[in-house]
Amino acid sequence: MNSVKNRKVLVVEDSRLIHKMYEVMLRPTTLLSAFNGHEGLDKLSQSPDVDFIILDINMPKMTGLEFLAQVKTTPALAKIPVIIVSTDGKEEDVARGLQSGAVAYLRKPFQREDLLKIINRIESEQTAA
Amino acid sequence: MSEDNNMTDPPPSADVPADEKAPARAGRDAMATLRRAQQLVSDAQAAIEEASRVVGQGGGARSAGGAEARLAVAESERQELASRLAEVEHQVGRLMTLYVATYQLHATLDPAEVQSTIAEIALNLIGAEQFVLLLIDDEDKGYEVRLMQGGADTRWEQSECYTGGDALVDAALADGGLRFGPTDESPALAVVPLRVQDLTVGALVILKLLEHKPAFVKEDHDLLDLLGAHAASAIFASRVYSKTARKLRTLESLIRLVNKG
Repeated sequence: MNSVKNRKVLVVEDSRLIHKMYEVMLRPTTLLSAFNGHEGLDKLSQSPDVDFIILDINMPKMTGLEFLAQVKTTPALAKIPVIIVSTDGKEEDVARGLQSGAVAYLRKPFQREDLLKIINRIESEQTAA
Repeated sequence: MSEDNNMTDPPPSADVPADEKAPARAGRDAMATLRRAQQLVSDAQAAIEEASRVVGQGGGARSAGGAEARLAVAESERQELASRLAEVEHQVGRLMTLYVATYQLHATLDPAEVQSTIAEIALNLIGAEQFVLLLIDDEDKGYEVRLMQGGADTRWEQSECYTGGDALVDAALADGGLRFGPTDESPALAVVPLRVQDLTVGALVILKLLEHKPAFVKEDHDLLDLLGAHAASAIFASRVYSKTARKLRTLESLIRLVNKG
């Protein structure tokens, strides 16, 4: 069953439309919204207890991959699962994202089921661990 | 299998305004149907467990045979319900996408932000890599290229007037009907006329999809339809508002001048 428990998720994404999409798709999850990588790091410094991060790659000021590198080199944040979401669909982009430490890569446009499947997989893996 | 006869609408939650739009209502209805389908799956699973328990307890060959038959029926029902649940979940996702697109188009009265939202919908929800937004010019009633994303197509120049020549675009602007291509006379994959009442105020011309999206899917047609209606009214409302606000500022300046004099 696809469902989203009441978790805390950081969304780092420059599109207001996509922020709204996550808000509707992931109810009743608590969402922390950031519109670029710098904002994302600020949010994480205030709330490091997020369950996972949904990250856009192409953003102004600090790209998703730069943000990811910062997160993975910060011991307190390194274990937070990161889902990369991007319109870039090339295999090398996917590989680059996963090599940088993301647990999953989702291409836009995506269906709600695709996102929930990934979230459920992450939650299952966390439970198993 | 009974339909949702005994299903009641959930009470309106605090964050749902009384004047909510149809997509929001449709979304809530779909969620109620989803909850009902979940309940049915849960009931079927309980029936399977009960049948398994009876089989496990034995009770003679006849009762075991009956229980096995019940188990088979329950399993079949479970599979059917699981399939329906997946369909309903897909519909819920589709309605959520339509709701968000509508919500975001009408969330602002700034014409530039409305255009930006149209571009976001085209890129992030439809998967258009290269597209052009034509909007009617209030002065001479021609169509101006207001937005060009994806570049690399010399036939379209931003801020230039579209003077015709693409058969698909011309046809869509003329009769207000959604067109799909490409055709011999046009490379456009889709032309979405933006209409308010009987007036075509522009068009979204999709020239190329993202590399990982080979073609439009069924859900895209709903989104393109929605864009045709809601993008136009959002553009129209934002233009009227910005004109009115400008006139108001001019009048206020004049009044201040008069009062000073």
